[in-house]
Amino acid sequence: MAIELPGMVSFLLSMTTLALIYALLALGLNVHYGYTGLLNFGHVAFFAAGAYTAAIVTIPPPGTVSGGADYAIGLGVPMPFGVVISLGASALVGGILALLIGLTSVRLGNHYLAIATFALAGIFEEFIRNEAWLTRGVIGLNNVPKPGRSALGADLWGLVYMLFAAALVVGTYLVIERLMGAPFGRLLKGIREDEQAARMLGKSTSQVKLKSFAIGGAIAGIAGAVYAHYIGSVVAGQFIPLVTFLVWVAVLLGGLASNRGVILGAFVLIAFREVTRFLPEIEGYPTLVPSLRFAVIGLLLVLVIRFKPEGLLGNPDELVTTGDDT
Amino acid sequence: MVLDLISQFAQVLVFGLINGSVIAVGAVGLTLSYGVTRFINFAYGEFLTYGAFLAFLVATVGGAPVYVATIVAMAGVGVLGVVIARIFFKPIRERGPLPLLITSIGVAFLLRNLMRGVAGTDPQSLPVPLIRPISIGGVQISPVGIAVFVVSMLAMGAIHLLLTRTMLGRKMRATSGNRQLARVSGIDTDSVIRRTWFVASAAGGLAGVLLAVQFPPFRPITGWRFLLVVFAATILGGIGKPYGAMAGALIVGLAMSLGSFYVSGSYTLAYAFAILVAVLLVRPEGIAGGEI
Amino acid sequence: MTAEEQPPGEAILSVEELKKSFGGLQAVDGATFTVSEGTITGLIGPNGAGKTTMFNLLTGVLGPDSGTVRFRDKAIEGRRPEGIVAEGIGRTFQTPRIFRGMTVRENLAFAAQAQSGESAFNAVFRGGRVSREETQLREEVDEILSFLDLEDLAEDYARGLSGGQRKLLELGRVLMLDPDLILLDEPVAGVNPVLAEDLLDRLHALNEEGRTLLLIEHDMEIVMNNCDRIVVLHNGQVLATGPPEEIRNNEAVLEAYLGGEIE
Repeated sequence: MAIELPGMVSFLLSMTTLALIYALLALGLNVHYGYTGLLNFGHVAFFAAGAYTAAIVTIPPPGTVSGGADYAIGLGVPMPFGVVISLGASALVGGILALLIGLTSVRLGNHYLAIATFALAGIFEEFIRNEAWLTRGVIGLNNVPKPGRSALGADLWGLVYMLFAAALVVGTYLVIERLMGAPFGRLLKGIREDEQAARMLGKSTSQVKLKSFAIGGAIAGIAGAVYAHYIGSVVAGQFIPLVTFLVWVAVLLGGLASNRGVILGAFVLIAFREVTRFLPEIEGYPTLVPSLRFAVIGLLLVLVIRFKPEGLLGNPDELVTTGDDT
Repeated sequence: MVLDLISQFAQVLVFGLINGSVIAVGAVGLTLSYGVTRFINFAYGEFLTYGAFLAFLVATVGGAPVYVATIVAMAGVGVLGVVIARIFFKPIRERGPLPLLITSIGVAFLLRNLMRGVAGTDPQSLPVPLIRPISIGGVQISPVGIAVFVVSMLAMGAIHLLLTRTMLGRKMRATSGNRQLARVSGIDTDSVIRRTWFVASAAGGLAGVLLAVQFPPFRPITGWRFLLVVFAATILGGIGKPYGAMAGALIVGLAMSLGSFYVSGSYTLAYAFAILVAVLLVRPEGIAGGEI
Repeated sequence: MTAEEQPPGEAILSVEELKKSFGGLQAVDGATFTVSEGTITGLIGPNGAGKTTMFNLLTGVLGPDSGTVRFRDKAIEGRRPEGIVAEGIGRTFQTPRIFRGMTVRENLAFAAQAQSGESAFNAVFRGGRVSREETQLREEVDEILSFLDLEDLAEDYARGLSGGQRKLLELGRVLMLDPDLILLDEPVAGVNPVLAEDLLDRLHALNEEGRTLLLIEHDMEIVMNNCDRIVVLHNGQVLATGPPEEIRNNEAVLEAYLGGEIE
């Protein structure tokens, strides 16, 4: 049952799937920063943890793959239902890693948290590259199964998987909205604005920050699993600070604590990145246009902070900055 | 056998000191700028990158000797720093440290990709003469390494003189101690901030050149990758404290050297990161007691 | 030099030989005093006497170098703020630390204790219970809004409130804690006289309900007219304690205020 889709549609499906993965990452970071005000600059680490977990859970046991050094662990949980286990495991690992990182940093002030998360993600990145027995380093784990791929054929699978990713985004969105509509959301926002004041009103803020960390990390883990099963391989070079940066732009662009906003932000960003891939190169300067694309994203971040700090869909009334008192 | 171990250890120490001296220049620049502007500037790494590239340009295209290229690079990056601050940071200065921090990340990204766009991603090296290392008591030291160390020490000395003997230095210390108070006592804090940006960025440019000389080759991403190491040194030393930053830099340099050799060579930045995290957990105000 | 005199009534708060230094500065230097339950006690002293530091020590923002703080026989010195609040102590700040990015109603609702909806698990899986509690909470908040005459501002964002209204809101949040002891740091400073009268009336009403108030205040007239008892702090130590008439005529206190007369 192979269906052929024109190249353009294929491209759009692929772009949308990628945008949905970034939307999940953005939803996770929104819990950290949008709602709780935590400066997490190591988000890519949770993404990577989820992706590698999904891989390790579902790739065939060691000894079955040729080409390059072997990996030490592969659990080979069968598709297609293995996806559920894979997603669950990734969420768990992402959440636990976030919790561990959070334990080292939540009592610190926010700026120290920024540096600490950045540093820890850096250590994690080196770990992934070096511990090839687990991750096959820069070669990567390349036989991650794509659930349903053989049954549906390439193009139809592309569509179905995109819908699967979309369902996950919608589901996550609904859960977060419910969570934040309850007093838990109010609690996070209070901590975001003035943690000390929240403590003076009896709230155990460190515990709450850890919970927020874990939730956002779990969501990023799920994003990692979706990514792994989509691309079919996880390689160290994919999990770089650039990913964290792009998610930040998506969140800031989309809007402070606005879940719809950050999903929109993710789409705008990925659409921009993918569409500008096709811009023509300039003679003699092969890296100019490709790099300028990214330079523009950096500029976009600066402009959003300066001129529309609440983002596209955020609530400006909720925005509190230092120079705000009457 | 024991002598071998000792000379090996000495080798590692020497390497660590030279490493530390490169970090020190960057760390002092970063901490000086933090003291006066009160936000963590994630774009600082790009000053190192721009310094290295500017020097490269002047030395290869312009054909000037490396030391001239270095001076031009320092001045150029100094000016760049002032311009960047004026365009991106000054307008949102009153919003507090958080928007400034996030903006600095955007600026870093912007600068890095501009460099990539114009200069490409190929690794480059400064035209430093290849001299054979000399051997002192079984320890191999390259004359280039010695030059780097000496230049770094001179820079530290210059900063020390700046802070203690000049009017600007006094004003910088006053402004970083308490900006309101400084302004009220008649100091033109805008001017002090501008000139601090110049000094701090120029130091960053110099650090970039030293980095490029000591650890060739360099790429557009080199400064950014080194930023974490500089952060580690700055925070270990106590943020906003220049002398602390010097001490912190030497410790981080040594730790990285020792770690790479005795623990595992495949992890390099991890040692700096580990120190950073340890400091933040145990004593966030660092050696000299800085506070965010 | 400490005053050993015990005030009449049950002690709700007793501080003994409390010390705290910052770097070289000894902010609190062996302070000892007691606050009786059900009273309005004023904490006064010249600038730099250590009053706000004292409040920070009492509420767990700072831990003392030595000495004890007992709240109804329980030692609370060095404990975390969250824990001390749970014991029944509320505190307001000189500049109200209300949440500007939330509405007045949300600010008050935030302060409610033991909200099961604050647990992530409950928020997702026990929607019914959370809903019911929110409805109940709404009624509590309405009561406080009414007590403070803030009903019209309930849905406004707190950032739009005037200084006086912010003080009311902060008081409201503290009341949501249902505290037995309320520490007030300059409750009427910078507030217009009409609103100040109003605030003081409300404070008296709270006192009549049985709550104990300890307030830091600079305006001598207010202190003399509203407090049952006064504790005078100077250079981190308790210079004198007693009813207003005694303090008014106390030589040492007059000297501490640089020889001026206390109106």
